[in-house]
Amino acid sequence: MVMIRPVAVGVVHEFEGVMLKIFFKKEEELKALVYEYLKNVANIEAHFSKAMEIFLEQGMCDDCGFLTEQTHKHESRADDIREEINLLMYGKALIPESREDIMRLLEAVDEIPRRMELVLYMIQTQKLAVPDFIIPDTRELIQVSLQSCDLMAKQIDLMLRKKDGVKELMDTIDQNESHCDHIERRIISKVFDSNLDPFEKMQLKEMAVYLGEISDQADRVSKRVNIIAIKRRV
Amino acid sequence: MLALLGAGFLGWSLGANDASNVFGSAVSSRMLRFRSAAVLAAVFVVLGAVLQGRAGIETLKGLTGMNLSQAIVSSWAAAVTVTVMTLLRLPVSTSQAVVGAIVGVGLMNRHMNLSGLGKVTACWFGTPLGGMIAAVIVFKVLGALYNRLEIDLFQSDAFLRGALVVAGSYGAYALGANNVANVTAVFVGAGYLSAFSATLIGGVSIALGILTFSRGVMETMGRKLIKLDPFSALVVVLAEAICVHLYTVIGVPVSTSQAVVGAIIGVGLVKGITTVSRRTLGHIFAAWFVTPVLGGLIAAVLHIAMHLRYVPAG
Repeated sequence: MVMIRPVAVGVVHEFEGVMLKIFFKKEEELKALVYEYLKNVANIEAHFSKAMEIFLEQGMCDDCGFLTEQTHKHESRADDIREEINLLMYGKALIPESREDIMRLLEAVDEIPRRMELVLYMIQTQKLAVPDFIIPDTRELIQVSLQSCDLMAKQIDLMLRKKDGVKELMDTIDQNESHCDHIERRIISKVFDSNLDPFEKMQLKEMAVYLGEISDQADRVSKRVNIIAIKRRV
Repeated sequence: MLALLGAGFLGWSLGANDASNVFGSAVSSRMLRFRSAAVLAAVFVVLGAVLQGRAGIETLKGLTGMNLSQAIVSSWAAAVTVTVMTLLRLPVSTSQAVVGAIVGVGLMNRHMNLSGLGKVTACWFGTPLGGMIAAVIVFKVLGALYNRLEIDLFQSDAFLRGALVVAGSYGAYALGANNVANVTAVFVGAGYLSAFSATLIGGVSIALGILTFSRGVMETMGRKLIKLDPFSALVVVLAEAICVHLYTVIGVPVSTSQAVVGAIIGVGLVKGITTVSRRTLGHIFAAWFVTPVLGGLIAAVLHIAMHLRYVPAG
């Protein structure tokens, strides 16, 4: 009896899985695409993080350039997946309200890789050099922003699986966003207190603002996710 | 067959107008194609009419005694009432128009079953109330079950879509079972049709209305329900179906639109929000009085016109 029960439970779960795939074919396809999109965004974040780490240590180099191109490649792939998702949704997957929610959510998420790409291209095309006195703050800003992005991805997963904890993650992302604002202001103050060339000051300010926008956008997305989760509560 | 023209028209307009109450939200939100919704609604309306339509017919035919010409008068009077009120863009209930017409003819005959009439009018007032109570219960029970389901957002959407199709089909069944009496009951009372053929002819005429002319109403009226979230829209359709089905068992034809309004109020009560404007409530009150009175007046006028005789002068 003791031996049979776990086997029986396993068979029931297997059966449930097969039935779900039969009855919710389009929805399963859509779910796979949404998770593929999120995985792709995580890849972009990983490449961005590595590229920035190398840039802060060595300045612009071949490795950094390669990672910038990789980021762009993944960003294009993310756009393609988003297009596939939209087409599938308008092919009658999901109810209209959810279609709009998912579409707008992915549009908002997409702003994050776009900003990362923007920072990397800015560094590459404007031959930016980050002075030593702001490197620790810049590292911290990147690290906290990426942490917010990770939390945002977790929050989206919880919302999609209709699990609790969405609001708590939103609060943490909100705190991170305030923290990033402080770091961003600190970097800008240090830059303008320095003896750098005014043109360099403007470049570094722009970089700090773009980096700060990553956590701002993660915060906006998390608030949207929270609203979608609330709307779905019965 | 010519005698049944008025009834056929009444059934057709009933199908064209009232199918929106059961499949409007699914069609206007493009969760379901119109063709699929119309076919499902037509099939279930005929099933409901044939399987459970007799109780309403017994009630309406018992309101007064009629011969064939009086049955024709009352069915045309109801059909004209529904058309006039629709053209004037006034809210109208076919059930109330039919009863008004029957009463009009009954008064001309000086023969009315007052206890039967009391039961019918009491049920009219109880329809929005029934829809409201059903919605509160359905929301609580279905909500508890829905929250326990271990499904993600994607599966939950497919579940809601499927549930809306099932609830809509049940609603169509209840519509056919409840409202078929409006279409052909008077002809059973006049001895022109058997109860079975009355349910079949009535059901088919409602189904024809759904198949040929319900698209526009479904798409426009359904948007009213879509303002609610998908789960609430499901609750409204299911509560309306349950309410109308209960009145079918009691044997009184009622207004599906008024049951829907009641159900929307019920959802608002559970969620603590205002879902129905005072204007809509005012429309229901107006429909309660204006429709049967107009139906009765038109029936009386037609009855008098039928009995006019040409008397040569001198």
